[in-house]
Amino acid sequence: MIGLDVTAVFVSLFALFIGLGFYGKYWRRGDLSHVHEWSLAGRKLGTWLVFFLIGADLYTAYSFVAIPSGVFAKGSLYFFAIPYVMLTFGVAMVTMPRLWSLAREKGYITASDFVKDRFGSTALSIMIAVTGIVAELPYIALQIVGMQAVLTVMLAGIANSQLVEEAALLISFVILAAFTYTSGLRGATLTAVFKDVIIWATVVVVMVAVPIGMGGFAHVFAPMTPSYVKLPQNMEPAYVTLILGSALALYLYPHAINGVLSSESAEKLRKSTALLPLYGVGLAVLALMGIMAYSSPATMKFLSGFPESSRGILVVPSLILHTLPGWFSGIALLGIFVGGLVPAAIMAMAQANLLTRNIIKEFRPGMSGITETRITKISSTAFKFIALGFVFAVPATYAISLQLLGGILIAQVLPAVLLGLYVRSLKRMPLIIGLLAGIGSGIYMVEAANNFGQLTVSLFGTFFGPVYIAVISLAINLSVALVGSLLLRKGTHKMTG
Amino acid sequence: MHVRKRHVMLALLIAVPAVLGLWVPIYNRDAPRFYGIPFFYWFQTFWLVASAGFYMAFARMKEGRN
Repeated sequence: MIGLDVTAVFVSLFALFIGLGFYGKYWRRGDLSHVHEWSLAGRKLGTWLVFFLIGADLYTAYSFVAIPSGVFAKGSLYFFAIPYVMLTFGVAMVTMPRLWSLAREKGYITASDFVKDRFGSTALSIMIAVTGIVAELPYIALQIVGMQAVLTVMLAGIANSQLVEEAALLISFVILAAFTYTSGLRGATLTAVFKDVIIWATVVVVMVAVPIGMGGFAHVFAPMTPSYVKLPQNMEPAYVTLILGSALALYLYPHAINGVLSSESAEKLRKSTALLPLYGVGLAVLALMGIMAYSSPATMKFLSGFPESSRGILVVPSLILHTLPGWFSGIALLGIFVGGLVPAAIMAMAQANLLTRNIIKEFRPGMSGITETRITKISSTAFKFIALGFVFAVPATYAISLQLLGGILIAQVLPAVLLGLYVRSLKRMPLIIGLLAGIGSGIYMVEAANNFGQLTVSLFGTFFGPVYIAVISLAINLSVALVGSLLLRKGTHKMTG
Repeated sequence: MHVRKRHVMLALLIAVPAVLGLWVPIYNRDAPRFYGIPFFYWFQTFWLVASAGFYMAFARMKEGRN
């Protein structure tokens, strides 16, 4: 059981977090009955606020728990997350300011808004909205899995821990839903800054204190098998395609685009994006905790009390609890806990924008701005509770399976959203067929790679070795979209495309 | 000529980190270690910091002209 100091610090910081969330309504006041004021904070966020917001958005509780979990179980392969974040910001540096400028000029709130305007196709824009909503749902569910891991470690050993854990999650989500409803993205931004400060303090302390306590990194790595020291050579194709596929996909997630569009200017967006790889250093330190855990006998003893499949996600919270002073582990654990809440809020908000603007509005075009905002707020609340209900109803492994699939699905909107920014000759029909081909082949390969059972791998055996499925199905999708557009242009000179 | 040079610079600032990140064999090794951390881990972490410098230079160059 944990000490009172851990609980006291955790609870008081959580109270502060709630206060900030509600205070967001008064911060940089705007008329919150406008959608862009509520969900984009009035497009007025500067370099540092966008840095914190997107940082909180992309480096989530799930990444803080799942990456170390993968490193703990499988070793170096899961370190792909580090070069992946480096590359994804390069992709964003080039593409996102352009999307931002178009969005500002034409009033887009979502990627589907852009696609509809650019290609004049409601069908394509609805398909992209649905893909975004579906891919986002397990992502929110996994934030909850990350938060659960923190609670499981904190509550270990007390009576009815399962019940207390579910009650705590439910209460947190009710509070989160209440302040996002009233404060919108402003509340999320303020709490994101709070969360980032805590995570950074944690990372610095872990980096300095934990290896010293273990006698240095040479000691940490000494007992590890070779696949924990460097990558086995046959896994290089997997590593490189995981980097590439994930880097191309990240900024296609609706919550990432939502963060981008809240920036005040394209210049400021570029600067904050340029700084975001620095945030990855924190992720690298946490990833190494998956290896450090083996050198902490107290942590390993604690973990051995859980079934092997759920040990991974408990690595970071239990290592924090067993190697750092009580009051500080209270701070660090809270950082990871709210690290799930903040992105969950932004993800649900982004889903709600897609549902309202790009799906409901297509069927009810006369909707007023105020009605649109109200439906957005209500559906963002609903999405949060759907994700929570999902986590309560099914085992965490299902959420992880679906997230795996979500990454492959979201990559398929790349031709329309990112290439659409540059390639003039793209046509809507080939894009639609390409998207369907990408999604179909992606789902088929995932199922085949897992022998049509529980989804645990996203790699497909090829001639070159194991390859990340998102990359293969994106290649199919891109070829269809590009070749199709080229053929249409040649074939129909005088017809309107 | 000047315009072309600028474009090449801009492209390199994005491409160098990308190529290094994707060229796995050049960093998939154990030695030399840094404070006991294998090359594989510290090299990639170091490049996060370096890439921020490259990207910041890109942002500054863009700012100058648009």
